[in-house]
Amino acid sequence: MSTCPRCQAEENKIRTEHKGLNAKGELVWTIFNCESCAFTWRDSEPARTIDYNLREEFFRVDPEKPYPVIMPPAQYK
Amino acid sequence: MSDKNPPLSDKALEVARRIGSLRDFLEFLKENGQCINWSEEVYPEPDIRNVAVAAGRDSMNGPAVIFDNIAGYPGKKMVLGVHGSFTNLALLLGHPKGTTIKELFYDIISRWGADEPLLDFIEPDKAPVNENRLTSNFNLYELLPLYRINEYDGGFYIGKANVVSRDPRDPDNFGKQNVGIYRIQVQAPGEFTLLSVPAHDMGRHIMAAEQEGVPLKISVMLGNHPAMCMFAATPIGYDESEFAYASQMMGSPMRLTKSGNGMDILADSEMVIEAELMNGVRSFEGPFGEFPGSYSGVRKIPRFKVTAISHRNDPIFENIYIGRGWTEHDTLIGLNTSAPIYAALIKDFPEVVAVNALYQHGLTGIISVKNRFAGFAKSVAMRALGTPHGTMYLKNLIMVDDDVDPFDLNEVMWALSTRTRAEDTIVIPNMPMIPIDPAAEVAGKGHRLIIDATSFMPPDKLGGDSKIVTPPSGPEIDAIAKVIQLLQNGGQS
Repeated sequence: MSTCPRCQAEENKIRTEHKGLNAKGELVWTIFNCESCAFTWRDSEPARTIDYNLREEFFRVDPEKPYPVIMPPAQYK
Repeated sequence: MSDKNPPLSDKALEVARRIGSLRDFLEFLKENGQCINWSEEVYPEPDIRNVAVAAGRDSMNGPAVIFDNIAGYPGKKMVLGVHGSFTNLALLLGHPKGTTIKELFYDIISRWGADEPLLDFIEPDKAPVNENRLTSNFNLYELLPLYRINEYDGGFYIGKANVVSRDPRDPDNFGKQNVGIYRIQVQAPGEFTLLSVPAHDMGRHIMAAEQEGVPLKISVMLGNHPAMCMFAATPIGYDESEFAYASQMMGSPMRLTKSGNGMDILADSEMVIEAELMNGVRSFEGPFGEFPGSYSGVRKIPRFKVTAISHRNDPIFENIYIGRGWTEHDTLIGLNTSAPIYAALIKDFPEVVAVNALYQHGLTGIISVKNRFAGFAKSVAMRALGTPHGTMYLKNLIMVDDDVDPFDLNEVMWALSTRTRAEDTIVIPNMPMIPIDPAAEVAGKGHRLIIDATSFMPPDKLGGDSKIVTPPSGPEIDAIAKVIQLLQNGGQS
């Protein structure tokens, strides 16, 4: 798993979350999480969801951009 | 007000006494042909989503679906569609299959306002939810068969949890303890985000904790008594307890116990995740396919850390499909969206017969009202826009006469076809509107549309020459319709 399907963060930002096994203990799929944009995915999902080039552009995320903050903590300072 | 409520039927009480948990309800649904097992192997994506959408197509009679063969999750069970059809709701309230939506609406209205809490407290060590308890090494991805609900959701969501929190400034107040349904995105094996806004009770609790620098503890209840999910979504007053309310609506006691972090929780839930707000932390959340059938965008929202997990043996993970309608979400909250609008309107206008706000949490509503004089229905419509829910949600309102069943769209279309003049439509521009209306030009603002499809009344002279056919109607015809249905089903109801 090289980059994040949503924000293209590099491999060092990708955390392996969990490996799903079958009843025999064989690997079925792996779940990953991107520490840059918080996208979570499973490597067995349809390509439309986990292939950066096949995903709709609308759903790309640039973590550097300002996104709305719900109940911004700064309001208390 | 409880003395004004008519007593529940024997059947309703019998069902209420029998159902104390999700498991009890699934068994009851199975006996009635309203719950199926999907035992062919499914992958978490896209198979669960595909089955959920297909099962949700029949909003009247669709079954709950239990998955017990999920690839990568041997031995785990999950269920969808528990509240996915009106027949499932009818069975919960003690009615037979074939009960109409209008009949269910009047049942909920008749239970509305009961105010005698029916709660039994049991010791935590006797509560089934505490059969297993974890206090470290949490892995939500392993414990729950998590999956992506819609293909562009930002992650794996828990969409049907009842979350308990207490006002961190008044933690001993039972009434100010809040139970609500908030969407939860799992962000790490032992962490999740929870979406709330300042207008929600939970939002108030989050802001209070961060302002005061005190911990906010919550208990996330999964796989709950079906009445809890149905009624925790109902807007009630800030100092009213959702537990008390749900038990009153069912007319039978609900069993509560204490969570490890001091919340009152349902003793028979499948799982309770105890967690604590990570004060001041905000994480990316979303998109998430929401009830208008569109995705809500990416935001940074509060994050929680798991502190303990209790669960029954072989817990069943209950989730919901939500997205473009019709979905379980529409069935789950539709009647409880309609009832408070009706209750508010009849205080001033006893001529109001019924309110149908089933569509996308009331973005479109249909109100049946007996016209007092020409134009009267428009005044009632204006009042509806001023109700707590109407203020943010009622975007399109169709007003029909008292002889039109607002839950029967064939009748509503007849009224639109025969009783509407183009000049009987009103547009009120630039009104407040929930931000996730996909038609909004500016999120948070929108226009309101009122279509008066009621008949003409004096002093209006229009339509004076035409006479409406009055086909037979009323209880006698309703009874015949049920007999026909029975005959069609070979004598089986």
